[in-house]
Amino acid sequence: MINCEFDRRRFLQWTGAGLLAAMSTELSFESLAEAASDGPLPANTPILVLVTLYGGNDGLNTVVPFTDPVYESARSNIALSSSQLLPFTDALAFNSCLPSISALYGQNKVAIVQGVSYPNPSLSHFSSMAIWQSASLAGVSSGWIGRWLDQQPHNAFNVIGVGSTVPPAFVGEKSVASMVDVSGIQLPWGDAATLLPRLGRPSASDVPLEAAAATSIADLFSTASLLGPLIPESPTGPMIGQQLAMVATMINANVPTRVWEVNLSSFDTHSGEQQDQNSLLTEVDAAIGAFMTIISAGGRSNDVTVMIYSEFGRRVESNGSDGTDHGTSAPVLLVGNGVKGGLYGEPPPLNALDANGNLAVTTDFRAVYGGLLHDVLATPVSDIIPSWNTVLSVH
Amino acid sequence: MLEHGRADPGLDSVAPLKLADLGPFPEGDAAAATAFWNRIEEDSSRLVMWWLDRMAASHYPLTERMTWFWHGHWATSISAVSYPLTMQKQNNTLRTHALANFKDMAKAMVVDGAFNVWLNNDENYIESPNENMARELMELMTLGVNRFTQHDVTEAARALTGYTTDQSNGQVTLDPKQHFSGPLTILGATSRMNAESLASLVVSKSQNARFIADRLWFRFVSGSTSAPASLARSFATRDTSSLVSALVHSAAWTSPANALVKSPVEWFVGACRALRVRPSKLNAGDTQWELSQMGQLPFNPPNVGGWTYGQAWLSPVAFQYRFELAQAIVAKGDLAPLSVATSKRVQACADWLGIADWSRRTASALAAAGPAPADVALVALLSPEYMVSA
Repeated sequence: MINCEFDRRRFLQWTGAGLLAAMSTELSFESLAEAASDGPLPANTPILVLVTLYGGNDGLNTVVPFTDPVYESARSNIALSSSQLLPFTDALAFNSCLPSISALYGQNKVAIVQGVSYPNPSLSHFSSMAIWQSASLAGVSSGWIGRWLDQQPHNAFNVIGVGSTVPPAFVGEKSVASMVDVSGIQLPWGDAATLLPRLGRPSASDVPLEAAAATSIADLFSTASLLGPLIPESPTGPMIGQQLAMVATMINANVPTRVWEVNLSSFDTHSGEQQDQNSLLTEVDAAIGAFMTIISAGGRSNDVTVMIYSEFGRRVESNGSDGTDHGTSAPVLLVGNGVKGGLYGEPPPLNALDANGNLAVTTDFRAVYGGLLHDVLATPVSDIIPSWNTVLSVH
Repeated sequence: MLEHGRADPGLDSVAPLKLADLGPFPEGDAAAATAFWNRIEEDSSRLVMWWLDRMAASHYPLTERMTWFWHGHWATSISAVSYPLTMQKQNNTLRTHALANFKDMAKAMVVDGAFNVWLNNDENYIESPNENMARELMELMTLGVNRFTQHDVTEAARALTGYTTDQSNGQVTLDPKQHFSGPLTILGATSRMNAESLASLVVSKSQNARFIADRLWFRFVSGSTSAPASLARSFATRDTSSLVSALVHSAAWTSPANALVKSPVEWFVGACRALRVRPSKLNAGDTQWELSQMGQLPFNPPNVGGWTYGQAWLSPVAFQYRFELAQAIVAKGDLAPLSVATSKRVQACADWLGIADWSRRTASALAAAGPAPADVALVALLSPEYMVSA
């Protein structure tokens, strides 16, 4: 009911040209951007897509050390059985809810970085996610992509998050990423259509947050005419799939965006883990599979790298409510035609856990970021993560 | 200024909400299941609009404002709890204790059904405890991160074993057979413990005063500066009204150096109050859709850490829904304060909404809105100055 009303409104607000574009199956940014000052993304420009899994995804039931006897003995109530596994080495298997990622791995398009976290991992969701998104162990509040954005000339398209609230990684010291959502872009109508753009200019008397509010208004107007028509009218299926499909469409349309983010919550599986995690992983896998299919039909499929990560993995030993409590390291997955597939880093041993029964850390996530900054964003890692130089390249 | 317990004719005008216990999910009966989910959806909507009405209607809004603060603090989502009645019971508990003693609030919340379901403490068994509620109780609700050890978490989880919740009505009971009854050592104290005594213990720690003072500061004063250490002294007895009173009488409260982005609900309720609009007079489906698209629907915090803050609310996506909400509020609003000569309208609008000074940008947009009071109100509600409390 709400959606019908909403769709009608959205439908009405497009002008003739926008409507045509929305109905076209082959959109290009060039066709939309005729009057815009922002050009399309130059050919062969690398693009990063972050997929953030909130809540702490259980790495051991994602990439499974299925032949390790500790795996079965420590978590017999949630260990995956052989029929729930897609082995890819004699020691490791994907959860069978990841058929697309498994197939991409077989095509050498998936890098699995093992044992990823940082020194003395925090078991707090919020501290750990803050560390991952800021790339700082010292409580820096700006996000790592936000600091990269700070270095670029302002443009509403450089970095775009999908959803309503800006992820911490996308807030810089001076600039904030733009946002777009699968529900579409509706510009104000009526008198407001001409009045409200006047509010989109920072004023000398603004406090910084007022200036940021003004910029967000300007960004809505500058992204609407170009991105709005690229958003499907009636998306279906799980949200993460809708979001990644929209990102893929925008990439194919040559939108000048270097970094995207989508996210999915509810990985905090303290109870009933198998059912909950499997259903979440199924959504992620289908979304990644569809994303790769859509971009392979466009001209940029070799330029895109997807990183799938969470704030921590989970305890090796399960609890009595068929779940797992907070843990430490977990694999990070990097997917893309340009990624050199395979295993990176050392697997953390299941028989040498820390004092809390958690996995050792064998790879620092900042090394993974270092590789992405170097290979994808062409930026020296120490410009973004001060005094950090280690780079783990998967390209 | 703390009006707790005072009669409130504004609240009296909001009809009490009486939700039924919908009982267990009707397994195996498709028609009954559909009816069940429809009823859940309908009751959820009534619950949200009932609370928004209270926030907008109260003549002494501090109790509702603090209930809202505590909702974000004990951030429990109906997405896992499912039952509106169970959420409403928690809401009433938060309201009862909103300006009273925090120790009593904590003791009530650890046996609150919605909170227990949300943090999986309806499934916490003696043989292999579930740590979720123990950790979040200490990290997010009472002490703060890094003020306890993993050992404290493990032991606190055992203090919380054996509780079960009747999810449809929030009734929590303790099964002694599943409850660990031996001595536990938590934060240096050793004794037998259950949920209430654990809550008393953690709240008695001095870190609790600092933590709650910091959280209040974070939500009411500044997301980027820290509370002065002295603020925690006002919470020595854990009396929330004393802490709030100290905060509003501090120099920081009115300092223009401290700016906050109004959260979507704070912005919405403020606009409804200024324009004398009862939220339930708006289209309930549209209102909730727009708030949820802005990222903040009451009873639906995104995770146990509560809602985001600051720049995260300032996204182009949020602005398009903010516009729709503002449009709806203005359409139903009382614009009498703008019935002044056009030349005086820009200033009248600032006085009306409590804005110290319009920027040149906004003043010129307001002037351009010129003759139409509805346009003036719309521009004012959507101005950066009104989105931010500076």
